[in-house]
Amino acid sequence: MIAKRLVRSAVVLLGILPAATATGAPLAHREVLPNGIVLLVAERPAVPIVAVRVLSRAGAAFDPADRAGLANLTGALLTRGTAKRTGPELDSAIEFVGGSLEAGASRDSITVSLAVQRKDMALGLDLLGEVVLSPTFPEAEVARKISEIQAAIKRSDEDPNAVAGRVLSRLVFPGHPYGVPVEGTRESVGRLTRDDVVKFQQEVMRPDTTVIAVVGAVTVAEARREIIGRFGAWARPTSPPSSVAQATAPPAPREETVTRELTQATIMFGRQAIRQTDPDYFPLVVASYVLGGGSASRLYSRVREESGLAYAVYSWVQPSRYGSALIVTSQTRTTEAPKVVVMIREELARMAREPVAERELALAKQYLIGSFPLRLDTSGKVSDFLVAIEDLGLGLDYADRYRERIARVTVRDVQRIAAKYFPPVGFSRVVVSETK
Amino acid sequence: MLLIAALLGPTGARAADRVVAATLDNGLRVLLLEDHRSPIVSFQVWYRVGSRNEQRGATGIAHFLEHLMFKGTPTHGPKQFARLVEENGGQDNAFTSQDVTSYFVDIAADKLDLVIELEADRMQNLLLNPKEIGSEREVVIEERRTRTEDDPGGFLGEEVGSIAFKAHPYGYPIIGWMEDIKRITPDEIRAFYKTYYVPNNAIVVAVGAFKASEVLEKIRRRFGRIPRGRIPPPVLAVEPPQNGERRVAVKKQAELPIVYLAWHVPNQRSGDAPALEVLSTILAGGRASRLYRDLVYQRQLALEAGGDYSYFSIDPNLFWFWATPMPGQTAETLEKELLAHMDRLKTEPVTEEELARAKNQIEAAMVFQEDSIHRRASLLARFEVIGGFALKDTFIARIRAVTAADLARVASTWFAQDKKSIGILQPKQ
Repeated sequence: MIAKRLVRSAVVLLGILPAATATGAPLAHREVLPNGIVLLVAERPAVPIVAVRVLSRAGAAFDPADRAGLANLTGALLTRGTAKRTGPELDSAIEFVGGSLEAGASRDSITVSLAVQRKDMALGLDLLGEVVLSPTFPEAEVARKISEIQAAIKRSDEDPNAVAGRVLSRLVFPGHPYGVPVEGTRESVGRLTRDDVVKFQQEVMRPDTTVIAVVGAVTVAEARREIIGRFGAWARPTSPPSSVAQATAPPAPREETVTRELTQATIMFGRQAIRQTDPDYFPLVVASYVLGGGSASRLYSRVREESGLAYAVYSWVQPSRYGSALIVTSQTRTTEAPKVVVMIREELARMAREPVAERELALAKQYLIGSFPLRLDTSGKVSDFLVAIEDLGLGLDYADRYRERIARVTVRDVQRIAAKYFPPVGFSRVVVSETK
Repeated sequence: MLLIAALLGPTGARAADRVVAATLDNGLRVLLLEDHRSPIVSFQVWYRVGSRNEQRGATGIAHFLEHLMFKGTPTHGPKQFARLVEENGGQDNAFTSQDVTSYFVDIAADKLDLVIELEADRMQNLLLNPKEIGSEREVVIEERRTRTEDDPGGFLGEEVGSIAFKAHPYGYPIIGWMEDIKRITPDEIRAFYKTYYVPNNAIVVAVGAFKASEVLEKIRRRFGRIPRGRIPPPVLAVEPPQNGERRVAVKKQAELPIVYLAWHVPNQRSGDAPALEVLSTILAGGRASRLYRDLVYQRQLALEAGGDYSYFSIDPNLFWFWATPMPGQTAETLEKELLAHMDRLKTEPVTEEELARAKNQIEAAMVFQEDSIHRRASLLARFEVIGGFALKDTFIARIRAVTAADLARVASTWFAQDKKSIGILQPKQ
């Protein structure tokens, strides 16, 4: 909470998945266990640590319509008690060895993350197995977590980015689960019960929609033995896994203003877009990077460097399993909000209207391709990447394909895609600001 | 000529043993560590200047200058730095703290020459064009609005810091007071740059896939041309002992109150520092820590509660505690509860389990940092700033030596009732 550091520009690159290793060596060992779990193992022997991710396709998208926040509550409760240990006992056990064991939900999944030193791997995996397979959801823990989540939702109401993001999701994905906050609302969370949680965990978290990645100072043979020993007996239900419909485009973009007593206005534009399985995704990523991806982008140059209107201004593609969004955001002093809104609209329109310069295209492509190794430079990042590409069905060669696809993007591709996705009339807009 | 301070063989188990360290003729300190796991490198330049070196009326100048370091030189004009780094697939950024200003580029190892050229160029030849300064001033003002004016936690932290220090510049906000950001002139910025951005006030650290002897030679060739500067003026201010509690109460649009407590404590030069580091972990390191388990978990008085100690601070700094009350709980209750935890530390020894857990957590955190070349480089630089990168290898031994009696002693010594500063933020209606 105490700002000791001031970062110049935290460039957000959410959702841009990295490209390939130069060597072309497979990123990981992959196999499907008899119960359907996909196991991925990447050996990184140099540093004596192990990072593990267990990702189950059981995110907020699977919340029943009247149970918003259920996946999030379930995820948060996994570490709050198992058949063998209470929540505090789990905390003490993992922290005694300086490791971490965290669980939580996103739109698409519940992910449990383990990080331990190599020497503590057996203990870490024991705890991981317990929280995934035998959570007990004690009544007192459920009540406690519900009030904690409600308080966190209340507090997030003072954060203009959180407020704008929630409204924008509702405008961009009306009628789809992505339009509802992962954490739910204070009211919806207040209605959740222990039975809801137990049912959700038993029915939605299942081995055949689970991916496990083990990365670090561990061999494939060891990782297989340890994971199969703990997760191999997890029974696959006979019923088919539940599914969620892909988001369809909303009938018409909408605009909303939220009033808050602040010195800055937070401006957020958004619309539905496409995800990695669509070949047009790659030109879209390049186009978004040209518009607002980095410190050389059009929006950064115009809004920040030339006009001094904002510290933060950027755009990004946020692909999820059941839908995707293209988002543009900035924060500026309240009086200048109309000017920044106009600038963003003008730059969106220019993207849609005119071809990008060869130099802009080259920079975006070189950055997206060349920065890849930086996105996979720790065991934690590799494990996150592995479970994500597996869950999205992109395949272990996705890294290579990404690089090839980005390299092939032409000025023409960018213009075709920009003409489709960048006209400002297609965007919904939220402004969180002092005055209407 | 090159002064090789340490060039040790690869046999040692510890990272610092393999560091190639040198001080160039112009005073530039260079630390290089080979790490060939990925074909990348983290190249960092740390200047020994931060808000600590500022004067009243010109607070925020170190951070303002950090922004301007991206505004070009005669050779690499405005916007070129970011363009060149990005089109070579690199990621660059910078931060300013109370003690240092740090610039980094993480990039493919075969692009290192470019980075050396860019960093050496802007160490000496920054344009500091008044028009660019004018527009960047507005950017910094926007940054301050985001971090302070519109952020209840940031706002209260600034208020408490400023009452806790009456003599030492640690009381200034790093980003600077709004009035100062608006006032600072291009001439002052130019003078600040000339004073502090000299090779003898900087540390170059690189970790990654390179041959250290080759990179050292490249650095010597490029950075070695930059003339040594005058020794920057020392920071003379010493914070006098606090005489009595200080308190600030603010109102802000917010959903929940916030409580901050701060005590003056010594830094790593003191024998008490390792105990303070352990104490901070026992109180606030994770969900098994005392503040979380008692206030957040068991009694649900707080949505969050924590603490932080600045082991790495150049001058003695503050030990912070904070809590956000749960809805229905008051700031006053949390203040009392945080104080009760401090009192308990003075009278009742911590358990063996707590002590061992905290030590293990601190030690494991050091191991986890080794997984990232960026963090490896940063850690070397942080130790170099406080006295030498080799301190990294004595750090864990110092932590391991802490006893339960040490913790009770430092708690009694440093957390006196009448030496604290307290900040309370209450939500406006």
